[in-house]
Amino acid sequence: MYNFRFQRLKSEMLMNIREYFIGKEYLEVSTPTLSPYLIPEPTIKTFRTEFINPFMEKSSLFMIPSPEIFMKRLLAAGSGSIFQISQCFRNSEQLGEIHNPEFTMLEYYTVGADEKDSIGITHEMIEKAIPSSLCEEWMHKEPLVITMHEAMLRSCGVDMDKAEDTEYLRKEAERLSLQYDENESWDDTFNRIFITYAEPWLPKNREVYLTDYPDKIRCLAKRYSDKPCRRRWEMYINGIEIANCYDEETDKNETEAYFREEQEILEKERESTGDEISPSDPEFSFLEIPQSSGGAMGLDRLLAAALGLDTIEPLLLFPLSDMLRSVKANLSNQR
Amino acid sequence: MIKAGQIDKGTALLIKGQPFVCIEREFVNPGKGSAFVRLKLKSPSTGQVLAETMKSQDNAEDITVEDKDLQYLYNDGENFYFQNTETFDQIDVPMKSFTDYEYFMKEGETYRATFWEDQVLDIIIPSKIVFTVAEAEEAVKGDTVQGATKYVTTETGLRVRVPIFIKQGEKIRVNTETKEYLERVNS
Repeated sequence: MYNFRFQRLKSEMLMNIREYFIGKEYLEVSTPTLSPYLIPEPTIKTFRTEFINPFMEKSSLFMIPSPEIFMKRLLAAGSGSIFQISQCFRNSEQLGEIHNPEFTMLEYYTVGADEKDSIGITHEMIEKAIPSSLCEEWMHKEPLVITMHEAMLRSCGVDMDKAEDTEYLRKEAERLSLQYDENESWDDTFNRIFITYAEPWLPKNREVYLTDYPDKIRCLAKRYSDKPCRRRWEMYINGIEIANCYDEETDKNETEAYFREEQEILEKERESTGDEISPSDPEFSFLEIPQSSGGAMGLDRLLAAALGLDTIEPLLLFPLSDMLRSVKANLSNQR
Repeated sequence: MIKAGQIDKGTALLIKGQPFVCIEREFVNPGKGSAFVRLKLKSPSTGQVLAETMKSQDNAEDITVEDKDLQYLYNDGENFYFQNTETFDQIDVPMKSFTDYEYFMKEGETYRATFWEDQVLDIIIPSKIVFTVAEAEEAVKGDTVQGATKYVTTETGLRVRVPIFIKQGEKIRVNTETKEYLERVNS
């Protein structure tokens, strides 16, 4: 049933996080969870609902998968460094273990910083955030920072310097006995290798910052000028992905191209699935985003790691999996 | 065909013409990536474990399996020998695919097995089994501390930690998953 001890620890952790950021003069913001438009992200399935009003036409609204769309508007408007703890929503993911379709996310943007600075900020924040009564092995170890190049090479011998070439990557997948689809994207083949070999290989029992993701995986993180990588990292504890971070793209042409191309992918998917897709924010590409680094962290996952759990379910007072199970049981009883 | 996202523990699949049973399944959503399932699949004929990563939307070839009751006869160190309780056919199953199962196989007992065509994909071990104590250490004299334990060996060769009052020839119920003693059974 309800675990009030865990709830108390979560409350303490949220208070510590607020104290940390407010102490560093970040502004805490509250942005909407319902939005008529989103950042186009074909790999994320969203929840759609409808706004009804007797005096207006109906309109579709989407539950935000992250508050990025609003927080970047604030950055562009001169907010300075900001943070937010909010509920976010992702559809069509696993139910249970380390997933719940609604989850608590911390999103934080540091103006004037890059993703390397954010490693220090994130580590320091975690040290302050974890309730002092909790003590897991990973908290006493120095964080490990490792590039994707090194992780792929050491875990399965794939050389990321050559991996931009799809042919090379597919040959490597074959060498590693992985099946792939002839029509699949470069990203998918890369992810098959990464998920099967590199991710499980990452050291456990410490914060691991996996940096320098392949350029080919499109996102709103800046590119390096001297290597085919983006200024992006993902942080793992005990093999579970806890946070990610970008050196945020500030070039409006790059942002505009990203929006256009990702929206096209979404449109294509809509043709095959018939699902309604979210329109993209018409003004986003014109925002003057200052040099900044943005991180996002799953707070239930962080607390689970601090408790030595490999699931977030005991931390949720009302896991959706339980609620759906009881609805199903009631229905079958009525029959 | 099923979608990879629907594969669960115990799902039987055909990979390159060979049957495999899923023993572990985990969903992975890499940042900025499609949804994947990370699977561990075991071959019932060789015991080989295969790591496979599939996109949730990939198609996988599932196979129709059937459960049958088999009576356990004996093993010769390489194979388990069973008899189908309906057809009386004798069936052999390679032991290397079912590590440690010999400790839970009691002669004359009936076990449920999952079949694909003529091949046994899985043998279901009941969660609790009653064993006879074949060998028991003597309790150390004077050792009357409550909770004191000793080791016994069952007729199948399984070593179990039990309370010191358990004697040779007695029956004990054992949790087959944890290999832990549960209780003494009065016959």
